[in-house]
Amino acid sequence: MNDERVPDHLQRLWQGQPEQGRAMPLDELRYRSRRLTRAVSRRNLIEYVAGAVVVVVLGRAAWKAPFLTMRLGSGLIVAATIFVVYYLRRYGGAKAMPLDMAATSCLAFHRGELERQRDLLRSVWKWYLLPFAPGMILVYLGPVLAHPELAARAAWPAAATVLLFVCIGALNRYGAKRIQMKIDALERSL
Amino acid sequence: MANQDELYAEAVAAYGAALARLARAYVTDPDPARDLLQDIHVALWQSLSRFEGRCSLRTWTYRVAHNVATSQVVRRRASAPTLVGLDELEETPAAIDADEALDAHRALARLQALVHTLKPVDRQLMLLYLEGVDAASIGEVTGLSAGNVATKIHRIKVVLARRFHDTEAR
Repeated sequence: MNDERVPDHLQRLWQGQPEQGRAMPLDELRYRSRRLTRAVSRRNLIEYVAGAVVVVVLGRAAWKAPFLTMRLGSGLIVAATIFVVYYLRRYGGAKAMPLDMAATSCLAFHRGELERQRDLLRSVWKWYLLPFAPGMILVYLGPVLAHPELAARAAWPAAATVLLFVCIGALNRYGAKRIQMKIDALERSL
Repeated sequence: MANQDELYAEAVAAYGAALARLARAYVTDPDPARDLLQDIHVALWQSLSRFEGRCSLRTWTYRVAHNVATSQVVRRRASAPTLVGLDELEETPAAIDADEALDAHRALARLQALVHTLKPVDRQLMLLYLEGVDAASIGEVTGLSAGNVATKIHRIKVVLARRFHDTEAR
């Protein structure tokens, strides 16, 4: 048996599948295109509203905090929240399909998507955790500066927060490592 | 240059059936496959507003289709089964008895199952090969070098010949 003939036969078999390659009506295309844009706008709006709720709640806490350092800390956390919402919106938020995707080869597009996801996870310290750090430090430091005898009691929640930050950082680094493995596998397969 | 709507009509007239086969090759279940096909059509129509003829309409169409499909597969990667490459398939013996008689329908089902197991780049190559796209155009669509395309097409032929050598006689 000639093995070379088998793939040719399979090509005919594949292309002979009874598929209907009909075009979608143009009205339907326009409607779906608009719906896609609206869906992206809606997701962005939800991100903004969630950010606004955090800002209002923390802003209120900042206003009512008993110590100046706590008020300053809460204010910095509000600023950090605004920054994180902006960053996610700019680099990681919901996006419609890029219009120029056909200008990019499949390989470049696929690698680009993986690299974007990896970089977002890898840099979580920079854009998510560190911006909150100054505010958190001031919030925990406020009562301790006013009442040094409370230092031991304040140490526990502070330690829990540090642990939480370390866990978030480690989980994101692990995620980035897994994506990097996919990129390496992609490079090896070329 | 034809306008966006005319280009879309032209692309679908020429490659509409291939797009439908591609969607089913990426997603097994009929309903999600239909959704994927519609997403591809919308993305193709949207993208054609920027078509300037720097590549062929075929290359453009396949790039959009594979990029949309691959990004959906990547998005669902957590629930997806482990995907393999052509090199691993070359080393793996066929799961069925090579002497088993296969009709066209079963061969097609097996071929689709095989495509579903492939990693994105190998899947793109396999599908473009099955559609009869020439090596130079496969390189344009995927971004692989000519040498790489040639090597991988050889691997595809070896894998297919090994796993389907009984179907040709049917």
